[in-house]
Amino acid sequence: MNQATFTRTIIGFAQFARSRGLNVGVEETFSALRAMELGLFEEKATFYYALKALFCCNKDQLSLFDKLFGIYWETKNDDPKRQQSRHKITGPQHLPKQPGVLSVWGFGDGDNKQEEDSKTVTGGNATVRLRKTDFSKVSEMDASILEDIAEKLWREMSKRLKRRMKRRHTRETIDLRRTIRASLPHGGDAIELRYRGKKPRKMRLIILLDVSGSMDKYSFFLLRFVWALQSYFEQVESFVFSTHLRCITEALKTNGLEKTLSMLSTQADNWSSGTKIGECLRDFNERFAPQILTRSSLVIVLSDGLDTGEKGILESEIQKIRRKTRRLIWLNPLKGMRDYEPSARGMSEALPYIDHFHAAHNLESMLELEDLLCSI
Amino acid sequence: MGTSIQDITSLMAGFDRLGYVIEEELATVVYLSLKLGKPILVEGNPGIGKTELANMLARLLDTQLIRLQCYEGLDVNSAVYEWNYQKQLLGIKIQEHSALNEAEKEKNIFSEDYLLKRPLLQSISAKDKSPVLLIDEIDRTDEEFEAFLLELLSEFQITIPELGTIKAQHIPYVILTSNRTRELSDALKRRCLYHWVDYPSLEKELAIVYKRFPEIEQKLATQLVHFIQELRKKKLQKTPGVSETLDWALSLMTLGYQTLDEQAVARTYGCILKSTDDIRMLQEEGVEALLMA
Repeated sequence: MNQATFTRTIIGFAQFARSRGLNVGVEETFSALRAMELGLFEEKATFYYALKALFCCNKDQLSLFDKLFGIYWETKNDDPKRQQSRHKITGPQHLPKQPGVLSVWGFGDGDNKQEEDSKTVTGGNATVRLRKTDFSKVSEMDASILEDIAEKLWREMSKRLKRRMKRRHTRETIDLRRTIRASLPHGGDAIELRYRGKKPRKMRLIILLDVSGSMDKYSFFLLRFVWALQSYFEQVESFVFSTHLRCITEALKTNGLEKTLSMLSTQADNWSSGTKIGECLRDFNERFAPQILTRSSLVIVLSDGLDTGEKGILESEIQKIRRKTRRLIWLNPLKGMRDYEPSARGMSEALPYIDHFHAAHNLESMLELEDLLCSI
Repeated sequence: MGTSIQDITSLMAGFDRLGYVIEEELATVVYLSLKLGKPILVEGNPGIGKTELANMLARLLDTQLIRLQCYEGLDVNSAVYEWNYQKQLLGIKIQEHSALNEAEKEKNIFSEDYLLKRPLLQSISAKDKSPVLLIDEIDRTDEEFEAFLLELLSEFQITIPELGTIKAQHIPYVILTSNRTRELSDALKRRCLYHWVDYPSLEKELAIVYKRFPEIEQKLATQLVHFIQELRKKKLQKTPGVSETLDWALSLMTLGYQTLDEQAVARTYGCILKSTDDIRMLQEEGVEALLMA
């Protein structure tokens, strides 16, 4: 193969890789061509390693690269090392395609009894009434109104939180650099002090939502709540669980809130078979915690604590989470009920390790979270 | 660049002489980085020699290693430069009665004599040859710092308002490491050559142990590496890395063990397991299964 053909082939491979989802741009292609000039591509293994380092930029892309490389540069005299790595290839895992249904999640089965419940709350107007209504008792009609109110309130709350953070930290430390500058006209005596505010540090929020049968209506609202708060936090990682755990951060990021909700709603039926909180948290600890749990992260669990899994797992797993985070908040919609005692086994196992145990059954109770978030 | 490095083979030989076991893949990446002037981004679990790579590269090229350890809240003052305020205050006092006017006085105390160079500035102001710049655990900093770094890594120049722009005469060789506690920005990743380090295979780990401790009993080495390899298959809170293997080997040798048995393991748990849960689990399960027959 002569030089020109080879150049063309490499550009072809770059285009091929780009079309199949690798982030290969002009710069990468150019680097590959420069590497070729260095004579790096005379040996097959080196050629493969070099392209891999140039074209991949995270661990998850490595297997995709192997696959693409295999397809494009398929030749007879295969390098054993590459063959070995090609055996490990697993196709990229795509989320199941969701149908474009825009259904309001969890509000499909409204019946007369619920209608009555929401009416029994007395109040001046719909806003006041709805703010106090338990999420599970909101009728289908009111749901969209409530969503609008919620979004507005939460956005305001997010703004307030941000503002408060900025103001609180002023006048904390003296900015020596600017003070010295200001002191020059006074012969070096620091008469005017200049201050430096601490950069408000954003927290990382990790949210674990219970989406099993009884919980889905609450989870739906909390997810909206989290969505509204996103700008306040540095990073938000969201997970849903029932009998198994699933990370929905990516789905939220790429599809937006509405699509994710409708996607979740179509799968909601599979989730009504009990809640294995302990097992799901263990899964979280094993697969995700090492990467995303840090001392500056805040973990919110939203669940009624009705665990149908094995005894004792929840306790040890929640303990592990507690050890690695700044704060652990547990929101339990049942806490909003009068005379509620956290006596369910799951809840009582988790309780000793929770920093804040809070109700989350209506808008009011969620707005109260503002003070809590501020104090952390 | 060191004259000895003409190709990948000589690079590997160089690392080998220094006692660092390197695979062809990583050697290719390092070679490419030296030739193309691109930073290397090394990701992988803790304790598998990411930082050591930079150390060894500096020794191989016979140049200075400048290390920036990242942490949450790292700011320009501790990463790039800071003015030496105490010295400046003194400087102002000293020139109080001089005939200089204010602008000249200001120029004086904001000169290079009063500047404290932090790692990033040091790395671009090297006088005679390119240093190796190690930016360790970049994932611990915030996004703002990452953006700043991105700018530095493309221009290799730093602007200090009071002094002007300092441009690198010798572009440093940059190695970034990350433990993947968060995703780095795409822009930064694309600027780098990417390399993922996995736990080493049995053969490689054994080679590392022999390289580091040539005097180790062959039986002990094989047994302990085998033990660690088996241990990594378990679900642990903290999986031991290569650095734990080396610590353990040294501990066992210091205690005078020539073979690995249950008692030896029980006395040295702390070298390989760093969490009480893991130790308890191992104690309950027993270590017979992990010990080689």
